Amino acid sequence: MAKNRENEEVRTFAEEADSLWLITFACSIWAIHFVVCYGAAAFVCAKWSSNPAVITNMRVGLGIISVLALCAVSYIGWRSWVQWDFLDDYDYEHDLAKEEHRHEFLGHASFLLSVISFIGVIYVSLPILFLETCQ
Amino acid sequence: MTQSTQNRESSSSGVATYPPTEQMLEEKIDKRTQEKTADRLRKAWETPKGWRYWSAVNNSEVGVWYSLTAFFFMMCAGVLALLMRVQLAVPENDFLSADTFNQFFTMHGSAMMFLFAVPMFEAISILVLPALLGARDMPFPRLSAYGYWCFLIGGIFVMGSILFGVAPNSGWFMYPPLATKAEGVGSDIWLLGLSFIEVASIAAAVELIVGVLKCRPPGMRINLMPLYGWYVLVVGGMILFAFPPLIAGDFLFELERSFDWPFFDPERGGDPMLWQHLFWIFGHPEVYIVFLPSIAIAAMVVPTVAQRPIVGYSWIVLSAVGTGFLSFGLWVHHMFTTGLPSISLGFFTAASEAVVIPTGIQLFAFVATLMVGRVKLNLPMLYIAGALAIFTAGGLTGVMLALAPFDWQVHDTYFVVAHLHYTLFGGMVFPLIAGIYYFYPFFTKKQMSVRLGKIAFWLLFTGFHIAFLPMHLTGLMGMPRRVYTYPSTLGWDWLNMISTVGAFIVAVGFLVFTYDLLRPKGKQPYTPRNPYNAGTLEWSHNIPDEAWGSRSIPYITSRYPLWDQEKIVERMDAGRYYLADAPEGKRETLITTVLDAKPIQVMRVTGPAWITICAAIFTGGAFIFPTFHWYPPAIVSGILAIACVLYWLWTSTAPIPEQKTKDAGLGLNLPIYASGPASAGWWGVWITMLGDSTAFASLIFGFFFYWTAKENFVPSGSDFVLASYLVLGVLSFAVTWATLVGARALNRRGSTKTARNLLLVSALFTIAGTALFCLSVVNSGLEPTSHVYPAIIWAIMVWTVVHTAVGLIMLGYCIAGATFGKLTPEHDADLCNVTLYWHFIIITVVVASLVIGLLPRLL
Amino acid sequence: MKNVALISLSCLLLSSCSGVQSVLDTAGKDASVLAHLFWVLLVGAIVLWLLMNGLFFYVTRIEPRELSRRAAEALVIGGGIVFPFILLAGLIAYALSIMPDQRAAGDGVVVRVTGEQWWWRVEYDLGDGSAPIVSANEIRLPVDHRTEIKLGANKVIHSFWVPALAGKMDMFPGRETRMAVEPEKTGIFRGQCAEFCGESHALMAFQTVVLEQDEFEQWLERERQDAVQPTEAVPRQGEQLFVSEGCGACHTIRGTEAQGNLGPDLTHVGSRKSLGAGILPPTAEAFSNWTRHTGAIKPGVKMPSFAHLSDRQIEALGQYLEALK
Repeated sequence: MAKNRENEEVRTFAEEADSLWLITFACSIWAIHFVVCYGAAAFVCAKWSSNPAVITNMRVGLGIISVLALCAVSYIGWRSWVQWDFLDDYDYEHDLAKEEHRHEFLGHASFLLSVISFIGVIYVSLPILFLETCQ
Repeated sequence: MTQSTQNRESSSSGVATYPPTEQMLEEKIDKRTQEKTADRLRKAWETPKGWRYWSAVNNSEVGVWYSLTAFFFMMCAGVLALLMRVQLAVPENDFLSADTFNQFFTMHGSAMMFLFAVPMFEAISILVLPALLGARDMPFPRLSAYGYWCFLIGGIFVMGSILFGVAPNSGWFMYPPLATKAEGVGSDIWLLGLSFIEVASIAAAVELIVGVLKCRPPGMRINLMPLYGWYVLVVGGMILFAFPPLIAGDFLFELERSFDWPFFDPERGGDPMLWQHLFWIFGHPEVYIVFLPSIAIAAMVVPTVAQRPIVGYSWIVLSAVGTGFLSFGLWVHHMFTTGLPSISLGFFTAASEAVVIPTGIQLFAFVATLMVGRVKLNLPMLYIAGALAIFTAGGLTGVMLALAPFDWQVHDTYFVVAHLHYTLFGGMVFPLIAGIYYFYPFFTKKQMSVRLGKIAFWLLFTGFHIAFLPMHLTGLMGMPRRVYTYPSTLGWDWLNMISTVGAFIVAVGFLVFTYDLLRPKGKQPYTPRNPYNAGTLEWSHNIPDEAWGSRSIPYITSRYPLWDQEKIVERMDAGRYYLADAPEGKRETLITTVLDAKPIQVMRVTGPAWITICAAIFTGGAFIFPTFHWYPPAIVSGILAIACVLYWLWTSTAPIPEQKTKDAGLGLNLPIYASGPASAGWWGVWITMLGDSTAFASLIFGFFFYWTAKENFVPSGSDFVLASYLVLGVLSFAVTWATLVGARALNRRGSTKTARNLLLVSALFTIAGTALFCLSVVNSGLEPTSHVYPAIIWAIMVWTVVHTAVGLIMLGYCIAGATFGKLTPEHDADLCNVTLYWHFIIITVVVASLVIGLLPRLL
Repeated sequence: MKNVALISLSCLLLSSCSGVQSVLDTAGKDASVLAHLFWVLLVGAIVLWLLMNGLFFYVTRIEPRELSRRAAEALVIGGGIVFPFILLAGLIAYALSIMPDQRAAGDGVVVRVTGEQWWWRVEYDLGDGSAPIVSANEIRLPVDHRTEIKLGANKVIHSFWVPALAGKMDMFPGRETRMAVEPEKTGIFRGQCAEFCGESHALMAFQTVVLEQDEFEQWLERERQDAVQPTEAVPRQGEQLFVSEGCGACHTIRGTEAQGNLGPDLTHVGSRKSLGAGILPPTAEAFSNWTRHTGAIKPGVKMPSFAHLSDRQIEALGQYLEALK
């Protein structure tokens, strides 16, 4: 019996360890998207700045990557929304010493970070739309 | 967080006795037991008296030294600023010579950043964090003391250079080629002195992170942690990723200065832009490393003033974490005028604007908290309000500057000087003073004067605006930064005069504040225990002061335990909670799990020691002697520093306890010894190596940077690293790693002899691998002074073999441990930590050999 | 306190933007676009500052009735996320949309400027295969024409900045950067090095002279010519001193033996609007003063001072140089 309980604890805990990392996922996607955009632009502009076709291809490629990044952030956002489980109790304070509150808090924080990351990815994609050359 | 961690964590925490029930907590303890245990605890935590006082390592002592030293350096840097303002008060002034002025502005910036802002955050955190968490001390007290002594020695060395007129004079950003070609020792003082301090900062960051993750009181789940803890966690993480690129940059820079390896010399294929990238990858997060802890102070003050819990705890956590991430995507906005492709600038403009959002959320959360509460304005709140007024102005000019085209005009003008002082005064100085007023009763059990505090506030606030508001206009009228003089024909005269007057008003404000801070308050009665009726644990402090931090470590069920948990202080005082006794006379604190703060270990922490000071002095020697190219004493110092550290580790870290477990109170029996992920030391190594890997990644970035930016990188006809040696070297290290992992497993199973023999094999292969790695480059004919390509290969090789050499020393330590009975099947913390270190090193070795061996052949 | 200061600041801005090195008193297309951007940003910033601090003042001082936590949360979402998201997206779009024009190329004569410690080497490349026309410490440009400027540096990093015409661009050793300017007014506009470049960074300025197109072409033609031979006795003595003191080792005066390349070209130095990289007036006295006190006037400068020359000799030298129109 005790053994059983302990196993269950291990399992919930394992899930929670993941959700601590979950906090950083959305921001990490933003960071990867940012590095890819910056790296691609730096590389293409250093090596092929005089070739408009390559630059156009790069912009299209980065546009696709941006859409993918937005999808990924949305997925993280949806997962954290589920974990937050706002609609069951409308709780956004999570200030009690309960497993549930810790669980929902991590979901909530991660959801908010997804929102910020979503905005961040949109912002970082704007230059791809507006700037056509390396100059 | 691996599976085994969780197993260990859950199996070691007793199920039946934790969490404590109300009934258990109600149980009375008789007075005599209370007094007896209190005496024993007091004795264990006693601060050394007389001249031995300086061997103290307790956070309350080290924190005070640390913060006063940082404050002293701030005053020095402030005096430099005043002297510069005198020089600039009138046009064509000759109060200061050009070179003196250049030294002054370089030292003003460097000291404010490296000797004040970052150390001050660490100092305040060392002081208050354990109390916020109801912990006894930081997890590695001797490491804090070592960090402090390093900071003191390095700070005096760097700051003192100004008295001899040999201070660095190329700006706090040290752009090559100006700084690499600068004559004299100034640049070396900057590079080596500040690298030394950066290492100490990283050490403190590691300790703070471990403190927040592992030393919380039982029951303080991650959703109940004080916001200050969240900020410390984020800032610690940022230091870990922001400082290493600068350290890598310093490494390359000093190799160029000392050995003429041309990393930043365009004539031999180098590129000064690489330094700018590395410097600002550090430099911009640095701004937030300075800003976030101050916001953290506001996050403590605001709920107290509103007498309500903070509104949007999750929001603030989000903004701290979000700012931490986004701040790494802004660095190029310091390089908008370097002619980078406009599309690249666009990304950084976008990210720089995005970071406004989390910052705005933070501010709105404070406003919202004040709106739901009944505000009782007090002195700390006055400073927070002043900070908000200043910071929002600085933030809004920041929004302007983040737009690349606007920056093209005002970059490197007084507009930027105004902007950065607005953000730093509003985002650092004012909240810090608020924090000092707020926590003063906690630090000293006395109070500062409200009247003087208000006078100081109005002097600082008005003086600040008089000094810095006109600078916006000065900049727009075309005055560049860092000019020691200016002609009178450009309309800058009166603006500069006003700024100088303002600067002196600020100085008077600081004098009033300093007087109030330092004046003796012996006759003043003690302050009430919780003067502001705050809700967080630090206000359960003992009056008069006790060195034990917390009489007993409480069980926490709320974000504001002093508001919500009735009788908590009374019970803490009565020793009703955990670790109320020290029967063995040892210093102990509780280690808990990361998420739910279940108690899992009673950790013995170290007490007063001189060895930390010796280690700091010799480490200082190893950094300071090379400034003057005195290499033999530097090497001797380095060896002595290593010897000191080894002695310190051997005699005091993770000693084998006299008993396996002990009664922590409330029927909880916890192990005393822990190894692997359950121990704080393992986390310390893990976090340190994360920082170390970042520095290594920065070097590798350098290689790719040269490849991208330079037409002819890997110049045609160059030699390559010798493949045979390199492959053999990597294989040797693979053997090292495999035997080490094997040794750890065997040791755990009880075959200590075999394990020791395997460790010996491991050490031998490390020697072989290191030698082969060196030879693969040394014998290849690559001449590091000839071109940047061989130079970067040499640099990566040197970096790698230094790490494997350190790994060798660690293996030797384990072999000695196995020989002298310090390393046993149950007590293998050292071996676990060394294995962890080697996990990182084997990755370093593989990546390094791919980059130096394979890539040049492909490109 | 702060509000009053801000309002008075904007009044001051309006009245005092007549400096010759001001971002707000523009004479070039790029600079005027940026000045416009600034005014938009300034108005926005003042409004937002007042809103934010007014709100804070209201909650701490006026003590409104307590807000529900739900309403407070709405305040954070609205003020912290929705509003800034829209506003900042607009700003980014605005800024990005003006960048391509700012970076557009120029045509016609290419001006090549090289940053030295602490002066400016200037070359006009006519693009017709002829050797570039070398000058120093002054740039002349035709009005209403977009001129390409190529930037480089010798030794250390500098930054090229004429606030009235356009934003700045850094100058690197071993790397060419570029910009273009499009003056809309004739006149003289001061520029200054904006990247810290060593001891006398403060003393590295220059004048930009914007001329009508035909005047510019005439000037260019004159600038191409060799130096004029002095006719009067005193300047002739100065010319001899220039040779005998070895000035030609560092300076070039085309049409004479002086062919040095370390210091500024002096072929037409007397026709420039300033001396010593924008720090002295172009008078014979200033020439003499400079020659005698180089290190005192510009700390760390490489040119030695010729204090051993007699007053008469110094004067002759000054007159010679001043006559190099």
